[in-house]
Amino acid sequence: MRAVLSSEWLKLRSVTPTYHAIGIAALMVALGVVWTFYVSGLTAERGSVQAAAPEQAFLPLIQISLVVIGVLAITSEHTTGMIRSGLTAVSRRGALLLAKAGVAGAVTFVAAHVVILITYVVSWLIADDRPLGFNETVFSHDLPILLASGSSVTVLALVGLGLGFVTRSTAGSIVSVVPVLFVLPTIAAYLPAPWHTRVTALMLPNLVPQIAGQRPSRGFGDSFLPPWGVSAMRQGYAVIALAVGFHMLRRRDA
Amino acid sequence: MTSFTSRSRNLRAREASTNVLASEWLKVRSVRSSHLILALSLGTILLGVGLAWMAAGMYDSAPPDQRSRASLAELEKVLVIVPQLCLGVLGVLTITSEYVTGMIRASLAVVPRRWPVLTAKATVVGALGLMMGPTVEFGTYFLCRWVIDDRFAGVYTTPLVDRLPTLITTGLSVPVFALLGLGLGVILRSTAGAITILVGLVYVIPMIVGNLPEPWSERLGSVMIGGLPGQITGDDLTHSVYGSLLPPTAAAVVLATYALLPIVAGAWLLCRRDV
Amino acid sequence: MIELRSLTKRYGATLAVDDLTFTVTPGHVTGFLGPNGSGKSTTMRLILGLDAPTSGEALVNGRPYASLSLPMRKVGALLDANAVHGGRSAYNHLLCLARTNDIGPRRVAEVLEQVGLAGVARKRVGGFSLGMKQRLGIAAALLGDPEVLMFDEPVNGLDPDGVRWIRDLMRTLAGEGRTILLSSHLMSEMALTAERIIIVGRGRLVADATVEELIASHPTLEDAYMALTATSVQFGSSR
Repeated sequence: MRAVLSSEWLKLRSVTPTYHAIGIAALMVALGVVWTFYVSGLTAERGSVQAAAPEQAFLPLIQISLVVIGVLAITSEHTTGMIRSGLTAVSRRGALLLAKAGVAGAVTFVAAHVVILITYVVSWLIADDRPLGFNETVFSHDLPILLASGSSVTVLALVGLGLGFVTRSTAGSIVSVVPVLFVLPTIAAYLPAPWHTRVTALMLPNLVPQIAGQRPSRGFGDSFLPPWGVSAMRQGYAVIALAVGFHMLRRRDA
Repeated sequence: MTSFTSRSRNLRAREASTNVLASEWLKVRSVRSSHLILALSLGTILLGVGLAWMAAGMYDSAPPDQRSRASLAELEKVLVIVPQLCLGVLGVLTITSEYVTGMIRASLAVVPRRWPVLTAKATVVGALGLMMGPTVEFGTYFLCRWVIDDRFAGVYTTPLVDRLPTLITTGLSVPVFALLGLGLGVILRSTAGAITILVGLVYVIPMIVGNLPEPWSERLGSVMIGGLPGQITGDDLTHSVYGSLLPPTAAAVVLATYALLPIVAGAWLLCRRDV
Repeated sequence: MIELRSLTKRYGATLAVDDLTFTVTPGHVTGFLGPNGSGKSTTMRLILGLDAPTSGEALVNGRPYASLSLPMRKVGALLDANAVHGGRSAYNHLLCLARTNDIGPRRVAEVLEQVGLAGVARKRVGGFSLGMKQRLGIAAALLGDPEVLMFDEPVNGLDPDGVRWIRDLMRTLAGEGRTILLSSHLMSEMALTAERIIIVGRGRLVADATVEELIASHPTLEDAYMALTATSVQFGSSR
């Protein structure tokens, strides 16, 4: 298993899309700096502002760019035909899937947390003690939501990987992740009350605030999920996608 | 050499572009992914009816005081994101699948001037979007109207004439996405890259813009692609992430820019790059 | 006729094609040889106008390829047999290319018959073996019944039957007065098929001679090739 892991790690770090994806995710730091300077400037004229924290405002940027790492980990092999040599070298298909999930999960976990924490610290340093809304809490209070945001990226990357095993197509998997991330939450918000709150609470992007004990989304009622239910839901997304992916991988010819 | 070679040596330019168009049309309809994408777009109608039917059921079983407060969004307007995304992806794949397989070399070797290939691709995906957008919009609208009837404070009882401008404009936004996808595909030559940027433009950037402090949220929100159809027909966009600063003509121009700018930039690159 | 005049292509620091000048004449098969990475495929792409030369020019029948209005009628090329969309049928793949040059379905059926793929014309190319894909690529090159044909490694993946078929096809096409440029690494096969040989190494012209001239000074074509390319087998020239 260690050999398979190190092979997957080499595969991931030897191709450029990985770096492009991490590069786009890292844009968040720059955007966060611009953002904080801008809202700091606003305090001069308005006294105080209620701005969103940059690492929350730009979270979708990290999510969508790092999902691509999970997706490409498998679909690029199908595109090039490399999957056949991959499965010849590692005939236990479950090991291949686990190794890919481990590597893509670890890389996106580290990348997301590093980018989010740097953005948080930099914006906090720039903000100083100006009343910007997002810098009025202490780090220990913000930590749960920072961790929830970062690990949501990993969950999404694993969902992307699972969908990649199912669809075997780059376009197909990225397009299937988009509904999970953007389309379903939008449509759910249009359901009649009280259903919109119930369904919205189950949507992956809305689990992030719930982990930190907040409401699923602005303008909705309190979550009905207990804290353990929220984490279970979130892991459930990744586990189900990977399980379906594994089922397909085991059943189908490469 | 043979009679075959000597036949119609000097083809007029128009005939030549018709030939390239026929080839591109065949390329699109001869692969399964296009069929799947178009079927998914049409599936929006079923999704709309399903949601309408569900909403109607909840409405009927709700007590009268809840009924009077219940509201429902115009489903065809909410669901248009599905055909928009589908056709955007179709636009991307039309060109990136050729780069992935290497077929692009053969395609550009047989049409060495290159830009006719892109024009033909744009015509094909644009036309498909033009057919698919209004079909999905009107299909969803009429079926939802039939299911919802006068429920939800009569959201679906407005005369068709009043809804017509919105239905048409929303439907016409679908080909814009198709061309935007194609343009991004030509520029980036990568399926993953182009779809990610497309999704970024459509979903991620508006979410970020919506979080910006005023006046930038309103200013930038006004040029986001998703808010443009609404500005063209003068809808109320106050409860969305989009702004509404543009007059209808300006909004239409910006929408057209989304479709054309990437294609023109892509054509420029395509004609200059090595393949 | 294919004419190269001081054709040069530079990719960043690498000189892929270096001041290449030669002429490929009609009526016989011209073998195009050189070690891997010596610039054969790049030269073919330059001739087809797919890549722009850094300097110099490549002419087909006296004109730059990109100025031809219906190029398939003049030049047919097989560059990479795998460069096909796996989801498309052989027939549709060929028709996609044919349509652009005003070539109809009848001709498509004809070439499919000629290369022996008529029976699998409606099958998805994704399921084809490399040999079948080579035949499909050759069919695409033949579509326009062109005077000039270029084949990059068409023998790869073919069974003995297919190898002989290609050899006969090349000789027949040359016998009809066409210009044939054929690249391959199989020396024995080349000795049987080609009349003239062009050898490149590190992007430069190493030899331009007839097979007879080459085997006059060496026991076999293979020995001649080895001797001539001995200094150019490294990748990424370190000049």
